[in-house]
Amino acid sequence: MFYREAGQFSTTYSQDQGIWSIKQDKWATFAIIGFAFFIIPLFASPYLLTVLLQLLVGCMAALALNILTGYCGQISLGTAGFMGVGAFAGYKFATGMRVLGGDGGAVTAATELVPMIPAVENIFVAILLAGAVTAAFGILFGLPSLRIKGFYLAVATLAAQFFFQWSFIRFEWLYDYASSSTIQAPRLSLMDGWVLPFKVPWFTWDLQFFWGTVDFTMKVSGPGYADKLHQYLIGLIFVVLFGFIAKNLMRGRIGRSFMAIRDMDIAAELIGIRPLRTKLLAFGISSFMAGIAGAMTLFLYLEALEGAEAFFILDSFLFLFMVIIGGLGSIMGTYLGAAFITLLPIFMVNFLPWAGGLVGMSINTATVEHIQLMVFGGLIIFFLIVEPLGLARLWQISKEKLRQWPFPY
Amino acid sequence: MTMTQQDAAAEAVPASADGEGHLAEHDATVREAHRRAIGDVMLEVDNITLRFGGVKAITDVSFNIREHEIFAIIGPNGAGKTSMLNVINGFYHPQDGTITYKGNVRQRMRPYEVAMGGIARTFQNVALFRGMSTLDNMMAGRLTKMHGAAERAFDKSLADIPVVNFLTYPFFWTADFLMDAFYWGPYQKEEERHRRRVEEIIEFLEIVDIRRTPVGRLPYGLQKRVELGRALAMDPQLLLLDEPMAGMNVEEKEDMSRFIIDVNEEFGTTMALIEHDMGVVMDISDRVVVLNYGRKLGEGTPDVVQKNQDVIDAYLGVSHDRPG
Repeated sequence: MFYREAGQFSTTYSQDQGIWSIKQDKWATFAIIGFAFFIIPLFASPYLLTVLLQLLVGCMAALALNILTGYCGQISLGTAGFMGVGAFAGYKFATGMRVLGGDGGAVTAATELVPMIPAVENIFVAILLAGAVTAAFGILFGLPSLRIKGFYLAVATLAAQFFFQWSFIRFEWLYDYASSSTIQAPRLSLMDGWVLPFKVPWFTWDLQFFWGTVDFTMKVSGPGYADKLHQYLIGLIFVVLFGFIAKNLMRGRIGRSFMAIRDMDIAAELIGIRPLRTKLLAFGISSFMAGIAGAMTLFLYLEALEGAEAFFILDSFLFLFMVIIGGLGSIMGTYLGAAFITLLPIFMVNFLPWAGGLVGMSINTATVEHIQLMVFGGLIIFFLIVEPLGLARLWQISKEKLRQWPFPY
Repeated sequence: MTMTQQDAAAEAVPASADGEGHLAEHDATVREAHRRAIGDVMLEVDNITLRFGGVKAITDVSFNIREHEIFAIIGPNGAGKTSMLNVINGFYHPQDGTITYKGNVRQRMRPYEVAMGGIARTFQNVALFRGMSTLDNMMAGRLTKMHGAAERAFDKSLADIPVVNFLTYPFFWTADFLMDAFYWGPYQKEEERHRRRVEEIIEFLEIVDIRRTPVGRLPYGLQKRVELGRALAMDPQLLLLDEPMAGMNVEEKEDMSRFIIDVNEEFGTTMALIEHDMGVVMDISDRVVVLNYGRKLGEGTPDVVQKNQDVIDAYLGVSHDRPG
């Protein structure tokens, strides 16, 4: 009843080509973003924040994959691998490319080559640089896409995934020769020493109004040092920003050239689109975002990780599930799919033992995991059969119905 | 259509406009006046030979297409008509012969380079981007024309300076990319400018109501029309139409013929079309070339071709009067 576009007119072409087709959508989007920025911090527990951080990383990675696979039609199974590149690149930038005093300790010529680079102390710069490095790798591994398509390209990107997993163990310089081959996010803070002489409720997350001082220091990274809430806010900034950028790119000329290549590459070439350039651009943008997702995993979410394990081939598949269930070629669907795949297992872990208790059955964690896999498999088959266009399409259908509600026609 | 042409058209028919019952005649005269004079040779195809392994698809075919004319390529199935268009498009590279486009002998070119040179194309079996709306399909046709503001500045100032252009281009490119990413001022204006042109074409082709429909859902006849629209959105100088009326009913064929003639008159686009409906071909085209087994059988105005004995034997046939 309230979801109507009546009385809303586009008077310019720019308005007509806007992100939101109807104003209610716009308000809803801003409401959700506002809720995530200002309301969630008021009540979120560290556990919830960890879950949300996992969700944010998933959103970012799925966004990256959806641009490449959903919009440009280049199937990729190497998302996790590229995320790994981002994580290690971010680590190396944040530690200034130097070998820290890890338990390996062997300093080789390779490390001496880059002694002058100062450590990046700003987390935004570190994450964006990690994205840039990953974009370069993505373009390199995207080169075969000119000649091979479909499944064959998927296998080529699978090779990239395996190569990266292997190199995260093989190149010891990457993890500072640590015997456990793990990396730890260095301590990073933002707005260090910025102090306000009075309190504002939303900045302090408690309700002691105006009394005391506000310390703006955000502890954004470093195990045992970082504040989950601050990490969540940084992650949220990245996800919102890149969601906006992705939407803009995909509704403009770049998105159109991607979709043209996806739908019919021969016709695309005959209307003047350069196939190699366009595909490489897709690989570049996608792996830039994947790299950011990887760096977010390191700095914000896991904080200490082992490359080959944290960015495993199964993660790549999980991101592909997100994109398929959410909806190929839809930014909105990306978020829905990521939320679905990330939150469903967590929901089941909490819900199933409780539900089992109700009927006098004790369900242990191993059983929950098995049930999870079964449910995943079933859902993917369900979606492929019933709605191949994913949650985004379901959402669209329900919106169309909602516009007419309560009248059937 | 420029003002001068409109004026010329008005002057050409001063008397008949107010006379009653001469509307059809008036239309025809206006048409004749609107029509741009057929000009110089635009595309010259010279002794083209195309082989696939041992199979000769095209043997020693030469013809030329002149500015503003409607040129038809006809012939039985397998005569090499579509191959010919593919050669012109740069999709196939002939083993022998040259193609001269706008006075320049063309080197081996990729299809997108040909497209940037102003040659557009539609396909025998519709080759639209099925996942995109009508509007997006046609906006995709504008992609070669859509340059970022920074790129345009680059083209004006630095593009001709040898080493500097190589070094500075990435910065201009990045600037454009960022404007794209934030849909910021200059990019938005660019988008609007091209949208306006696309809307003109949408109105011209009378597909206003299906602007937002994904083209996969459209009926076949409309898909063909959208494909013509996408080609027109490129503002081509030469438009290649591969069987624009295949599989259409009479009404749709009439519509399409009218669009082809209107495009030719209003935009002055040169057209080369392949078509099997002889009635349509003979009606709308200025000149016809006939291919058979990859060789040229005849060439000329429709009247001349219709009387050519080789053409009649190979393709047109003769009408047999019913006995009794």
